[in-house]
Order: sequence, then structure tokens, then C-alpha cells
Amino acid sequence: MKRRDFIISAGAMAAGATLPKLAIAAANRIDWYTSSDQNIIDFWTNIIKPKFEAANAGVTINLVDANDSAGLQAIESRALAALGSSADPQADFFEGSDARLPAGAIDKGLYVDFTKEKLSNASKINPLAKDLPQNGPYRGSQVLLAFDTTKLSADKAPKTWADLIAWIKANPGQFIYNRPDKGGSGAGFVKRAIYEANGKDPSVFKVDNYDAATSGPMLQKGFDILKDLTPSLMGQGAYTSGNTQSIQLLSQGAATMIPAWSDQSLSAIKQGVLPDTTGLVQLSDLGFPGGFTWNTIPTNGVNKALAIKLQDFILSEEIQSAIVTELGGFPAVSWDNVSKELHDKYAALIPTSIPVFPSGAWEKAVNDGWYRNVAPNVDRSK
Amino acid sequence: MSLAPASDIVGTEKSRGRLLGLLLVAIPVLLVFCMIIYPIISAVVTTLWQADANGKVGFTLKTYQFFFTDGYSLSNLWLTLWITMVGAILLILICLPIALYLRFAKNRLAAYVQGLAIFPLFVPAIILSFAFIRVLGPNGAVDLLLNAAHLPKIRTPYLTPMGPLIGLVWDHIPLTVLILLAGLGSVSDASIEAARDVGAGRLRLLWHIILPRVGNSILVALSFSVLGIFSSFTIPYVLGPAAPEMMGPFMQRTFRDLYDPENAITQAVISFFFCIAFGLFYVRSVVKNQRAR
Repeated sequence: MKRRDFIISAGAMAAGATLPKLAIAAANRIDWYTSSDQNIIDFWTNIIKPKFEAANAGVTINLVDANDSAGLQAIESRALAALGSSADPQADFFEGSDARLPAGAIDKGLYVDFTKEKLSNASKINPLAKDLPQNGPYRGSQVLLAFDTTKLSADKAPKTWADLIAWIKANPGQFIYNRPDKGGSGAGFVKRAIYEANGKDPSVFKVDNYDAATSGPMLQKGFDILKDLTPSLMGQGAYTSGNTQSIQLLSQGAATMIPAWSDQSLSAIKQGVLPDTTGLVQLSDLGFPGGFTWNTIPTNGVNKALAIKLQDFILSEEIQSAIVTELGGFPAVSWDNVSKELHDKYAALIPTSIPVFPSGAWEKAVNDGWYRNVAPNVDRSK
Repeated sequence: MSLAPASDIVGTEKSRGRLLGLLLVAIPVLLVFCMIIYPIISAVVTTLWQADANGKVGFTLKTYQFFFTDGYSLSNLWLTLWITMVGAILLILICLPIALYLRFAKNRLAAYVQGLAIFPLFVPAIILSFAFIRVLGPNGAVDLLLNAAHLPKIRTPYLTPMGPLIGLVWDHIPLTVLILLAGLGSVSDASIEAARDVGAGRLRLLWHIILPRVGNSILVALSFSVLGIFSSFTIPYVLGPAAPEMMGPFMQRTFRDLYDPENAITQAVISFFFCIAFGLFYVRSVVKNQRAR
């Protein structure tokens, strides 16, 4: 074979190999994508998938990790692009999704409107968990204070916001929270400050009542509290870039107290990332706001009906109870709809009202305002 | 290094060769067009033609006006430029001696040094970032060592502008060393020995014999590190301060957390124009190099 013929044929073969494999969504296989962390994927792999597949013979769930929100959005954008054509989006279910993204998806009708689908468990959903009709809640988590009991005994841990502020100021450099947009634990702390500045009344903040003229000053009062704290934080105003980094600083003994997600701290303690001497406490005057995780379902998925069935399934008492026991999270249904013993067991630990800060315009204003008002307020000269 | 003439590869039959050559080059050109040129044009157009308050789409510079009048955005841009400049200069200062050593040393130690210098190439940025926190972060390995020696703790660079600077410099060492080493390959032993014979000292050798031959490589290394640092994301995201932030995390945050694609794309276009200036350096030096041949 001549050299150039060889090169040509080799090139042609190589080009052939790079052609995308024809992937077609299989019937009865729910292509599931998540933006969540590994503990959530484990929960789905070990609990939800086997239970759902056992209850629905012949149906399988194909669990795919999209890494993060941006990764999930890429898959959602693919579904959006396929909308209106006969193209197959190869996706049926998005876990940890927000129907607001990708931009314009709702207007184009990408996501299933859950209120129109008559889920059998829809009536059980905690009113606090409800957001857009396209966002189907299924689990929640609360932010707590995690602290090192070797440096601060559990009985001296702050129980109210005022105690917490006093403790932070009395122990400069021992408290750190993450940037509000980079992880919910820091966001919970920032939003709690905003509640504090506005009469501790979460009901003031609603999904649809953001108004730049009146809401700006409300947030500013919260930012002022946080600015006042800056010199007492670790590094005179350093903010970690995520929940995990805060946990790392606590585990390295660099910080004494951090705000942290309940589920993440529980699994960190279980895995030994955080020592057994880690204490957890919720404020009793008003808890740190938690958040709910939503699922979305594309209207053009091949297995749309099954995906809706799956969303209904995970709102059942069995799965919702498992979210409490296995995941350390809290249910998206009202507490009356998990098993009686769980309800009794956690009734004392989890306050009946976990404030939920509205997402959307409010959240955007908090994130932007925090970066512009609180974050630059750093004095590195000391 | 010299390439064989193209005729050796595609054959000498004129018509077939030309067609094949075009076909072969068509794939990369098409890819560059679809994945780079087209998004650039689309980004510029998106930022310049926007709907106004009445929903009428027309030419506007409002997002650029906002960026260049907004102190917060500008301080992010300055921080990015500062880290880029200081990082690029540090890289040359650190890597040139390493490359010189590797070019002229002939012992076994050199192989280990080279291995060590190339090592960061195989470490993903996210691993590097977390390792950085464990080593240079508060109560990290360095603090533990200092503590064991009864010395005070360091002021940690974690979550300050020094964090991404140190991380990015370390991350870019391999590429810079490799480029400089390739450039030093063109300095012949004969010319060095000739200069030594007429009594040139080490500094004189460096200044008059070596540097003129590697000037081009330094320029290429500089432009690569500038482009790499300017557009970096992971390291400044994890190690950098909350504010001011580098353009990479800033763009991502504007896009994803503030649901504001117009301003995010504007930031991208502005970053792109800064990068293109450095990119032109690179293109110019490549062209100059080819002409010299």
C-alpha cells in the first residue's frame, strides 16, 4: 500500500470513529440527570431506583450525573433545542433543577406543569415548598450551625441570633461562611441576617413581591449587619467559595463555627470528614432558612408519563420518610405525611417552621447586593 | 525542526492533491468557524443589538456603558489584569532559569528536575486547589511545620488575591518550561562554545547569545500564560477572594446566579478583546518565525 493511500484510508477510518454514536432513548428507561452532589446520587441509586423499579416492572431509571447546575443546564438546553422538532432530547427527568433556567424554557413550554398533571400526592406537599408550577419539590434541607465542641462546649453554643453575633464578635477569626451564591449554607446565614433586620418575619418575603424600590433598602439593612461582622470573620472578611470548603476549614480546626447544611454535616460526620466532636445547633428564635430541591420534567421526553409517575412516587410516604432517615434532609411534604414515629422523633429537633427564602428576583438581589456591599468590605492591612 | 514539503504527503498529482489538501484542512477550519468564530460574532451582535425599555430591538452600548462605569466590574477587571501581569512575569522569572538548567545540565538530576517541573501538567486544577488549602490554608501543612519549629503561623494566601496568583503560577509552570526549552533547543552548543572561546562570561553569554535566540519563545510563553491566566476559572473560583473576583468566576456568576446573559456576554466580549491583544503577539511571532525560515 502506498503511503498516501494508507494515510487516506487511516484518516477516513479515524473520521468514521469520531461520528457520534446514534443514541436513541429507550422506551421504559427514564433518562435521569442531576446537578446534585454524590450523597444524592447514592440515595437515588440505593433507595429510590430499586424501589421504583420493583414497583413498576420493566421500567428502569438511568441515573446520570450532570456534575453541577451548569452541566444540567446544558442537557436542558439540548431538550429545549429539540422542542418542537421530532428530535429526541434523550432526557426525561431533571433532579435539582430550576425551571427558570435555561432562560425562556418556561415560555416555550419545555417543562411539565405539575399542577395540571394531577399527582396523587400533590395535596401532601408542604405549602412552603411550592414554587413555580413547573418546579416539583421533593426534598429539603436546613442550614444549621456546625461547631467544634472541643473549643466551644455544646451548652455554650449560641441559641439565638443575638447570641451568635455576640459570640462571633467575642471570638474574632473563628467564624466563616461561604458566598451566598456558591452554596446554600452561606446563603442561609446571609438570609437569616436579612430576616433579622426586617423584624424576623419571613412572610414579608414572597416569590412575587420583589420591588427594587422598596426591597433594596430592606436588603441593605441586612447587609449592614453583615458588614458590621466583617472584621470579626476569619481573615477579616474572607468567604469560602462553597459549602465543602467551609466544612474543610472546620475539620482543619481553622474555624470554630460555620453555617452548614444539615444533610451535608450529618454525612460528613458519618464519613469521618468531620470529627465526632462536631456539634450541630439550630437557632431557636428563628431558624436559618432552608431550601427545597425541585425536579423538572421536559414535555418532549420520550418517557414523560413515567417521569411524572416517578415524581409522584418520590412524594410517597415511604420515600419522604427515607429522605429524613437516610439522607438527613427534610421532606417536601408536610410533616403529617411522613411516618408517625419519624414525625414524633424529629418534631423536637426540627422547628415546625423552617423559613424558606423565595428564589427568583429576591435571591438574585441578595446575591448581587452581597457581592457589591458586603464582600468588598475587606481590610487586609491588619 | 523542519517539516517535509507538503507534496511528500499528499502526492504530486496536482488536481487530486489540491482537492485532498483542501479537504484535509476543511475539518479544522470548519470546526474553528463553528465553535469559535461564529460564537464570537454572535456574542458581539447579542451585546450590541438589544431590546430597549419599549421592547424595540436596536443598536445600543448600554451593557458596555454599565461595565465601564460600574466600579465593581472595573475592580474585577483590574484584579484580573493585575494577576495576569504579575503571574506572567513571575512565570518567566521562575521558568527561564529552570529551562536554562535543563538545557545545559547533563546529569541525572536534570531528569528529576524536569519531571518535577512538568508534574503540574498532570494535576487537575480542582485537585491543586484543595491541595493548596491543605498546605497553605489556615492550619495547613506549612502552619503545622512552623508550629513544630515554634514559629508564628503564616498569613494564609487562601481567599486573598495571592491565592489564585500562587495557584495559577504553579499550574502554568510546565507549559512555560516546555516552550522555553523548545526555544533553547535552537541555541547550538557550537555557538556557545565559540563565544566561550573568545572569553564571554556567563552573563554575557546569556545576554548576547542565548536571549536573542529565545526572545521569540519568551514571547510565545508569555502570550500562552497570559491567555491561560486571564481565562482561568477553577483556581480563582476556589482560592480567590469573594470580591474583587477574576473575570472567569465573575462571568459565570453573572450568567448563572444573576440570570443576566447580556451582561455576562458583555464581560466575555471585553475579556475577549483583552485576550486578542495578547493573541496577536503570538500570531505575530509565529509569522515572524516562519518568514525567518
